[in-house]
Amino acid sequence: MSMLRHHSNGDGLMALFEESGRNVERTGSLLRDLLEGFPERSSLARDILICEQEGDRITHDIIHSMSTNGSKLDQRDAYELARALDDVVDYAEETADSLELYGVEAPMEQAQELASVLAGASAEVAHALAHLRSGEDVATQLIEIHRLENEGDRISREAIASLFKSGTDPMVVIRWKDIFESLEQAIDSCETVAHVIEGMRLKSR
Amino acid sequence: MQESQSAVTPLSPASVSSITGVRVQPGPIRLAVIDTDSGFVRVLAKRVGEMGWQHRVLTAPPRAEDLLSMRLHALIVDLALLGPSGWEFLEQVCDSVPGLGVIVCTGTSSVAQRVRGLRIGADDWITKPCHPQEVIARVEAVVRRRKRASPGAQEDGPLLAGELEVRSDQFQAFVGGQSIDLTRREFELLHLLAKARGRVLERDEIYQHVWGYAMVHGDRSVDVFVRKVRQKVERFSPGWTYIHTHFGIGYRFEPEAPDDGPDETPPDPLGDGTETPEEVTSSA
Repeated sequence: MSMLRHHSNGDGLMALFEESGRNVERTGSLLRDLLEGFPERSSLARDILICEQEGDRITHDIIHSMSTNGSKLDQRDAYELARALDDVVDYAEETADSLELYGVEAPMEQAQELASVLAGASAEVAHALAHLRSGEDVATQLIEIHRLENEGDRISREAIASLFKSGTDPMVVIRWKDIFESLEQAIDSCETVAHVIEGMRLKSR
Repeated sequence: MQESQSAVTPLSPASVSSITGVRVQPGPIRLAVIDTDSGFVRVLAKRVGEMGWQHRVLTAPPRAEDLLSMRLHALIVDLALLGPSGWEFLEQVCDSVPGLGVIVCTGTSSVAQRVRGLRIGADDWITKPCHPQEVIARVEAVVRRRKRASPGAQEDGPLLAGELEVRSDQFQAFVGGQSIDLTRREFELLHLLAKARGRVLERDEIYQHVWGYAMVHGDRSVDVFVRKVRQKVERFSPGWTYIHTHFGIGYRFEPEAPDDGPDETPPDPLGDGTETPEEVTSSA
């Protein structure tokens, strides 16, 4: 951990990761609000799109920083972390986009629950990255992310199973299966972030 | 569910509710036959096919939800094929798919059996052997009667409630002669509730009637559309309350003037009369 923090380029990179974490947290929070207030708050999809573009910019900056400043950070770890953070935002944006693309008229409770789990996991990701930069312990955040991922997995499985009961509108199945899956992938990407951070932490000991 | 598909085509959303009793639209009759008598089925299928009906043959009894999703006008069933569970199946279908015309077409039966079947809810009873033309004529008669009995099909006069006038002939509601600009689905929801004035309709029931499919657990469509209808109605008829929330159950239509006193329903946590997800979950 200290290796990350004290290296000349480490703090610059960690600042970018921390910025990316804040972007992830904001995205998760916006998606939760969008689904909680759907359809009245559909315009939040636009803000999520902006987060997605911001995420791309930060990822680009991270990769550029790694290539130009020759960080001693494990480049593969840094790349994996940047990519996983970007994935969280991408899948969240895909979810918001699908709501409009598929002409969804009303939310599903399970999607609201998954978005709430994602918002929680995203906040933990942001905290973990802030702690990583300051050299504080991240174990609590990583454990919470794993717990939330399990919770998301359970909700997602039950949600998809509920779509395949008899007599359901096939259009509902098509729409919501995709949306549940993109929400689950966003949560899974939070767990990938946790795995990479865990690996980085072990290497720095 | 085994079936031999023939001439079954997806139905447009606009015609969905015809089966569920909200509205009957013109178009080919949609028929399912539960029978393994290949000779009878073949001849019947050929005849109804020539008439442009949409039909399917089932060799095993489907679940009521499956029948609902087929959006049939009529079902012909040979109870002998189903054995002792035939009565139970008949009862379940008649209860769960109220807009469906059910015709029992089976072998020799006793008076008691025929009386039982008709009392359970079958619309007609035909004894084999029978001529396909007679079966077709009876199906037509059942569907005709169903259409007449269907509340939406009556194109009845305007429903008047408080300041609101719900007109099925224009698929619109009015306040003081001014349209409140409901969409088709919003109108169908309001019309359904208004027709059942004073009665609490469960969410599943509302969804099934308006959307024409079984409601997926957790789907908030009914709540969202009730909210939309309320907003539009309140804009034109301020102070009046028309749609009342029964938490954990569904909605009831009953106009209440501004000074009619408080509604019996508990306080509304969202302020818009719809339920929170937790409340919906607890209703399951």
